[in-house]
Amino acid sequence: MGKVDVLNGNKAAAWGAKLARADLMAAYPITPQTPLVEYLASFVADGVIDADLVEVESEHSALSVLQGGVLAGARTFTGTSSQGLALMYEPYIRTSTMRLPIVMALVTREVISPQTVWGGQQDAVTVRDAGWIQIWCESSQEILDSIVQAYKIAENKDVLLPVNVCYDGFSLSHMAERVEIPDQKLVDQFLPKPNITHVKLDPNNPIAVDPLTPGPMLTEFRHKQVTAMHMSKKIIEEVRQEWLEMFGRDYGGLIDLYRMEDAEIALVCLGSPAGTARVAIDEMRNHGIKVGMIRIRVLRPFPDEEIRKALVNIKAIGVIDRNVSFAKGMGISFLELKTVFGGLKMPPMIDFIGGLGGSDVTMEQIKQAIVITQHVAEGGEFQEVTWFGLDKIDVETLFSMDKDRSLKLKGVSG
Amino acid sequence: MGVNDGIRDNTNYSTIPEGARPTLEKNDAFFTKKRFGFIFNEEKKTKEVYKEITKVQDLLSPGNSACLGCHAELALRTTLRILGPNTILAIPPGCMGGIGAVGFNGGAGAKIPVFFPLLDNTAAMLAGIKRKYIREGRGDINVVAFAGDGGTADAGFQSLSGAAERGENIIYICYDNEAYMNTGVQRSGTTPKWSWTQTTPVGEQTHGKSQKGKDMPMIMAQHNIPYVATANPSYMHDYIAKLKKAMKVKNGMSYIHLYSGCPTGWKFPTEKTIEVGKLAVETNLYPLWEYEDGKFRLTYEVLKRRPISEYTESMQKYSHLTEQNLAELQQNVDANYKRFKKLCKI
Ligand SMILES: Cc1ncc(C[n+]2csc(CCOP(=O)(O)OP(=O)(O)O)c2C)c(N)n1
Ligand SMILES: [Mg+2]
Repeated sequence: MGKVDVLNGNKAAAWGAKLARADLMAAYPITPQTPLVEYLASFVADGVIDADLVEVESEHSALSVLQGGVLAGARTFTGTSSQGLALMYEPYIRTSTMRLPIVMALVTREVISPQTVWGGQQDAVTVRDAGWIQIWCESSQEILDSIVQAYKIAENKDVLLPVNVCYDGFSLSHMAERVEIPDQKLVDQFLPKPNITHVKLDPNNPIAVDPLTPGPMLTEFRHKQVTAMHMSKKIIEEVRQEWLEMFGRDYGGLIDLYRMEDAEIALVCLGSPAGTARVAIDEMRNHGIKVGMIRIRVLRPFPDEEIRKALVNIKAIGVIDRNVSFAKGMGISFLELKTVFGGLKMPPMIDFIGGLGGSDVTMEQIKQAIVITQHVAEGGEFQEVTWFGLDKIDVETLFSMDKDRSLKLKGVSG
Repeated sequence: MGVNDGIRDNTNYSTIPEGARPTLEKNDAFFTKKRFGFIFNEEKKTKEVYKEITKVQDLLSPGNSACLGCHAELALRTTLRILGPNTILAIPPGCMGGIGAVGFNGGAGAKIPVFFPLLDNTAAMLAGIKRKYIREGRGDINVVAFAGDGGTADAGFQSLSGAAERGENIIYICYDNEAYMNTGVQRSGTTPKWSWTQTTPVGEQTHGKSQKGKDMPMIMAQHNIPYVATANPSYMHDYIAKLKKAMKVKNGMSYIHLYSGCPTGWKFPTEKTIEVGKLAVETNLYPLWEYEDGKFRLTYEVLKRRPISEYTESMQKYSHLTEQNLAELQQNVDANYKRFKKLCKI
């Protein structure tokens, strides 16, 4: 039988790696991932984990050690944040192009400058096109479960891609909550030993890994990689079903829907703000606003069809972004969502940027976002992108034409 | 010449260029059997060693695009013969990768497992491979790097130093051709003072590289790893003995720094590679030594060192050196050698 414990996100991640029986790990400390490295070290020291933990001199080497490990057939694990990810970028992009099924906790953090060590999502969203699958979590339980699931997805012969299990620094990495730790025997049943042969360096069966490759051959290779990324959607769904049957827990596969059945407007969230949004949605529904939420659980591959289907009867969409794109001065989720509709007619959509550099996405802000989205759904005008904390939001005025609603919303506006 | 203006020099140096003095000519009156009998002994040893290695399989795939007279390619071929098939080989970007030693167009460059690490993570990737094989009870596999000076002393230094400090059980061989040759002769951390390269040109304001190069083998010895050696493919028997020692090390890293003459980048006739390599040792510029159990030892004693000018005049990368430069260089060489001899007594 499994057991129940109180775990923060980092410790849940360490448990995930333990249960997956990763046997080669390497990591370099950086806030807010640091406790993860310490948990791994103590797990190895206490014999809880039977693995080599390589105390590398940098993140660049951490991922490089794992790459070598995979070439020798190991199941590997690491984690990093922000500047660590930036330093790691050279082997990082190569991990996906070499099709190495490495699993890495990405404890998301703001990138400098200005100098900061606090939460954000800018690090992870910046690398969303480096060929890694990105699973975004909302709780410690989901972190643990997703890490085990990630190996099953990554090592699938039709996928063979690395997976980032992303969780917001501090808001998830340092927040302790009740977690069910599944039974090792059951996890072993779910996740058999790895059998990675496509890049195996073994004197008993010599191959050359990654020789110089001319353009036409590379093109074919890249096409296969993109196809595998697309294919992973199906595998993620299959793994979701299997997990549900064996462990009784479900987070949605690619997207996680909340009160969308009868929703007229929708929030779209990525990562930790989703937790706050659930409470805000419950409250706003008491005020008569039929709001639901789509949590993007997998940012890569991007669940475009799934999101389009979920938004079919939606009159307006409000997006919460803890990150920015420099392409158009809006958040990344917002930018990605625009691609969902392609040439199709789309409902009005507005973006809210907040939670940068460790600032909170507050309950108040999310309620404001809901009110504004409702306003837009009813044909009202509003600016496309709003920065919480910078832009003055006058919800009272927005609804002043409608005395009734204005009264109902009392105590909600900010 | 092209050395003066920094423009790529496309002259074919397979014939003796102007100003380069041929070395060890047979009719050299100075070079008699009586005077240099020990050299003939060396040749005998070399012959014996070649007899030995030609009995084992050449594990490099036939056909590669190395320049004529490449010292490093010769060394790589011999290295693989000695290491044998129970070996995993990493060749980072650089000339050896460029010639196709990893492979090209879907074909393998070697008959053993071989791969491209990044320019700067060779030691870390090898550490991962070795760790996993040790876990599986197959720690007897030689896990080996054959990396250039750029991939070793510059971009790859951090991961190499980290792996050395952690005691990763890998064999790291650096072939030092004293520049980034694959990208077309740019300076590296080991490029010696006054060397001409494309990025340290000889011009109105400059006189080749103005800084001294890093002493990589000494830096590695200071990591206190079990085995460090310098070697030179012109002294193959010496190199082979060292490689065999490196293969026996089980308690940490072994590091071999291979002098590697480059006719294309240094500009000397392609048929002179072995001789240029010999001069590097006979002038005491690059003594052959090893470091084992904390002790330094010369593995080849030069009885009468030859003047450094013989070395510098054998190639055009030093053709701009003045008498004054040469005097300073000679002083440095002699002082370094004296210091090293003292070190051997400790
Ligand atoms: C991170 C990175 N920067 C730059 C390069 C380009 N590059 C390829 S080979 C090389 C020079 C390698 O020099 P060295 O290690 O001395 O090997 P050589 O070419 O002399 O054999 C450089 C700079 C690279 N491959 N990777
Ligand atoms: Mg070089």
